[in-house]
Amino acid sequence: MTAPAAPPTLYSVRPEWADVTPVVQYEKANPLAPIVYTEEYKDATDYLRAVVKSGEKSERVLKLTEHVIRLNPAHYSAWWQYRYETVVALSWPLDVEMTLMDELADKYLKTYQVWHHRRLILLLPGAGAGRAAQELTYIANMLQTDEKNYHTWAHRQWLLAFHNDDALWAGELDFVDTMLNRDLRNNSAWHHRFFVVFQSGVRAGEEDRQRIIHRELMCVCHVKQHISLAPNNASAWNYLRGVLEFNKLPLSNVATFVKPYTVPLPDGAKDVVDLENPPPGQGAELPCVAAIEFLADVYEEEGGESTHMAVELWKSLGDEHDTIRKKYWEYRILQARSV
Amino acid sequence: MRPTPVDAFPTATSASQAETEKVLIDHIPGDPTKTPPTLQKNAHMQFLIRNIVQGFPARYTSQDASQPWLMYWTLQAFSVLQVGLDPGNKRKAIDTIMACQHPDGGFGGGPKQAPHLLPTYAAVCALAVVGKPGEGDGWDDIDRKKMYKFFLSLKQPDGSFLVAHHSEVDVRGIYCLLVTATLLDIITPELVEGTAAFIASCQTYEGGFSSASQPYYSPSSPPTLLESPRPPLGEAHGGYTFCSLASWVMLQPFLASTSSLTRPQINKKSLLRWLVQMQGSQAELGGFKGRTNKLVDGCYSWWVGGSFGLLESLGINHAVLGAASSEKHTQAGTESAWDDVDDSLLNRKALQEYILYAGQHPAGGLRDKPPKSADSYHTLYCLAGLSSAQHRVFPSPIRRKEVLDAWRAPNSSDTSDEVRKRVFAEALSYTEEEGTETIVGGASNRVNATHPVFNLTVTHTEAIMSHFYGQVVPPRVFKGATATQS
Repeated sequence: MTAPAAPPTLYSVRPEWADVTPVVQYEKANPLAPIVYTEEYKDATDYLRAVVKSGEKSERVLKLTEHVIRLNPAHYSAWWQYRYETVVALSWPLDVEMTLMDELADKYLKTYQVWHHRRLILLLPGAGAGRAAQELTYIANMLQTDEKNYHTWAHRQWLLAFHNDDALWAGELDFVDTMLNRDLRNNSAWHHRFFVVFQSGVRAGEEDRQRIIHRELMCVCHVKQHISLAPNNASAWNYLRGVLEFNKLPLSNVATFVKPYTVPLPDGAKDVVDLENPPPGQGAELPCVAAIEFLADVYEEEGGESTHMAVELWKSLGDEHDTIRKKYWEYRILQARSV
Repeated sequence: MRPTPVDAFPTATSASQAETEKVLIDHIPGDPTKTPPTLQKNAHMQFLIRNIVQGFPARYTSQDASQPWLMYWTLQAFSVLQVGLDPGNKRKAIDTIMACQHPDGGFGGGPKQAPHLLPTYAAVCALAVVGKPGEGDGWDDIDRKKMYKFFLSLKQPDGSFLVAHHSEVDVRGIYCLLVTATLLDIITPELVEGTAAFIASCQTYEGGFSSASQPYYSPSSPPTLLESPRPPLGEAHGGYTFCSLASWVMLQPFLASTSSLTRPQINKKSLLRWLVQMQGSQAELGGFKGRTNKLVDGCYSWWVGGSFGLLESLGINHAVLGAASSEKHTQAGTESAWDDVDDSLLNRKALQEYILYAGQHPAGGLRDKPPKSADSYHTLYCLAGLSSAQHRVFPSPIRRKEVLDAWRAPNSSDTSDEVRKRVFAEALSYTEEEGTETIVGGASNRVNATHPVFNLTVTHTEAIMSHFYGQVVPPRVFKGATATQS
C-alpha cells in the first residue's frame, strides 16, 4: 500500500498565484441546494474563474485546468472554454497534450469530454496526418477494457468518416470480427459493422454490392453463422433485418434459414449440411422469439392468405413466448387486418 | 419466470444479464396481492428535501457543471410528486438558477461557466416550475435576444447544433435547444432550417436514434451537404431516441408547409419495433433498457417508456386502428369512451412494477437498479417514467381547437404569426385523458401527469408559454374529481 498523497497546497497560499484574485462562484450568498465541495475543489475553481475572467493563457493555466479536470472531468468549461483555447494560444506541443489525454481517457473512460478533447486536438493543424492510424489503435485498446463505451465507438466512427481514407477503413472488418469473437452479443460492434459496410459509402474493393450483401448474410463473419451459434441474440437479428431493409430486399430471402429457429430443437443432428442455412446448434433454446417475429414479418410482407399465418404467430408471441409485449403483438394483428 | 436464454453460449453480455436478473427476481415480493407495492412518496420527498436544505454531498462534485440540472431534477420531481415549494425556497431557487445565466446569452452549468445547451434547457424548465412574470421572478430575467443569438452561433451547415462553443454535436443539445426556444417563443424557421433532416439521419438500422450523424459535403464550391452518405455515429440509444423523437415532434409545425417530396422522413415502423424491444422481460421486471443487449436501468423508464407518449403525435396509436375507435378522434366530447381501453403499446403495468419493486431505494430516492444508490437524476426519470406509465397524455384535437380559437394575433403585421400559432397550439394540445389511469398498487401511488415533450406538468407548460406568447388560453374543463390544479 502506498501512503495517501498529501493534499496539494491551495492556490490561495501559493506565492506564484499571489497576483491572482480568486473569484467565488456565488456572489449572492446562500444558493439553494449547493454542492458541498472539498476545500481543494473550491479553491481550484475559484482560481479557474479568475483566469477565465482575466483572459490569462499561460502554462500555469494549463496546470490549473488539468487540476480541475482531474477533480471533475465533466467540467466542460475547464476543458474547452479554457484548456483548449490555451493549448491553441500557446501553440502547446500536441504530442504532450495527447500523452496527457491518453492517461486521462484511461482514468475517466466514461466521460465524453475526454473523447471530444482528443477530437479537437486531432483537428488542429499540427496534429499530423499519421496521427489518425495511431488513434485507431488507441481506440481499439480502450475498447478492450470497456467494450460497449458509447463515446469510444462514436469517436472511432467519427475518425473513420471524417478522414474517409481507404487505408484507415481497411482494417475495420477484421476489427469488428475481433470484437464479435470476444462477445457476439456486443451490439456496439454490430452497429459498427453496419456503419462500415453500408452507411458510410462504398469502400475500395466492395463495389460489387450483391457480393457484399451475400457476404454479410453468409460468409465468414456473417450474421447467419452468429445466429446459429446463439439464436437468442437480438443484436444479430437486428443486423439481419438491417441488411435486408437497407438493401430493399424482401425478408423472405432468408425464410428458409429462419424457419428451424421458430420450432423446438429436433432430436439428433441433421445429416445434410446446408452452408447457406446453418441450423441451430445443440445448445439452442428454441423456439426463438426473434425468429418467430421474423417469420411473422415474412408472412405479413407476403400478404393475402399468408396474413393469417402471421396473425397466428403474433398470437403465440403475445400469449406464450413474449407476453410482456402482448399489446404490441395485438397491435400488429390489428394493423395487418386493417390493410 | 424464464431467464433470458443463453443458448449454451455464455459471453460477458449474457453473464451480466444473468447476474442482473438474479438480483431483480429477488425484489419480487412473495405475494403481491397481499401487500401491493407502495410508492414511498414520503421517503422520496425527504431525499429531495435533504439535498435542498443540506446541499448535495461532495460526490456530486461530478455534477458541478450540471447545477441547473440538479435544480431541475429536484423541482420537477417535486412537481411529479404533487408538491410545490414555499415562496422562500422558490425565491432562492430563482436566484440560484439566474446566477448561471451567461452575459452572452444562454445558461452555463454553474455561475461563470460557459453557456451550454443542456444546462440552458434545465435552467429554463426549472424556471417554468418556480418562476413567474415580473422583474426578479425569473421569466422576464431571461435574456431571450441574446439566447437566440447564442443558439444561432452554434448552428452547423448540416442543420445540427454544437452543444456549446468548441463542443460536440449531439441530439440531446438539439432537444434542449428546441424545448427552450419553443417555451420562450424564440423558435423560428431560420433557427431550425435543416434540423429535421439532421434528426432523421440519426435513425439507425435498428430503428432507434444515435447521438449524431456525420455530414459529407460535395467537393464543389461552395460545398453542399450530400444527402447520402450521412452515417449515424453510435448505435441506437434510449436517451438519444427520446431527444430525437421529441425534437421531431417539435419540428412538425415547420414541416407542414414543405412539399412531401423534400420533407425528411423517419421510419416509424422500425422505431416502434425498437421501442417495444427495449422493454425487458418478466425476468427483468419489465424495466426498460437503453440499447440492444444492455441492462435495464430505471432512467429509461422515461427516456424509452416516455417515448411512447410521443407516438400519437406521429400518428401511431393502438386504438385508432379499430374501425369503431377511429371515429372517436374526430368527434367532440367522446373522450370518455376510451374508459376501458388500455391502448398503450408498452406494458404499463410491468413498467410500474419495475419502478416500484426495483427502482426505489429503501432509504429514499430512486435508482438505476438494485443495489445501486439513489441520485437526483434517477429520482426524476424513474418518477417521470412512472407518471407516463400511469397516465395517458395525448395531443387532443379538441384542446388544440380551443387554443387556436382563443389565439390573439399580435398588433403588428407579423408574417411569422402562423407558425408561432401552430407551435403554441401543438404544444398546448396535450391533455391528460381522464378515466384511463392505470395505477399499480392503488390510488395512493398516483403521481402527477407530465408533458411528454417537455417533462413539465401541463399546468407549468401552459403558464410559461402563455406568458411568452402573450396569450390567454381557455381554462381546461375538468370532469373528474382528480382535477385539482397546483
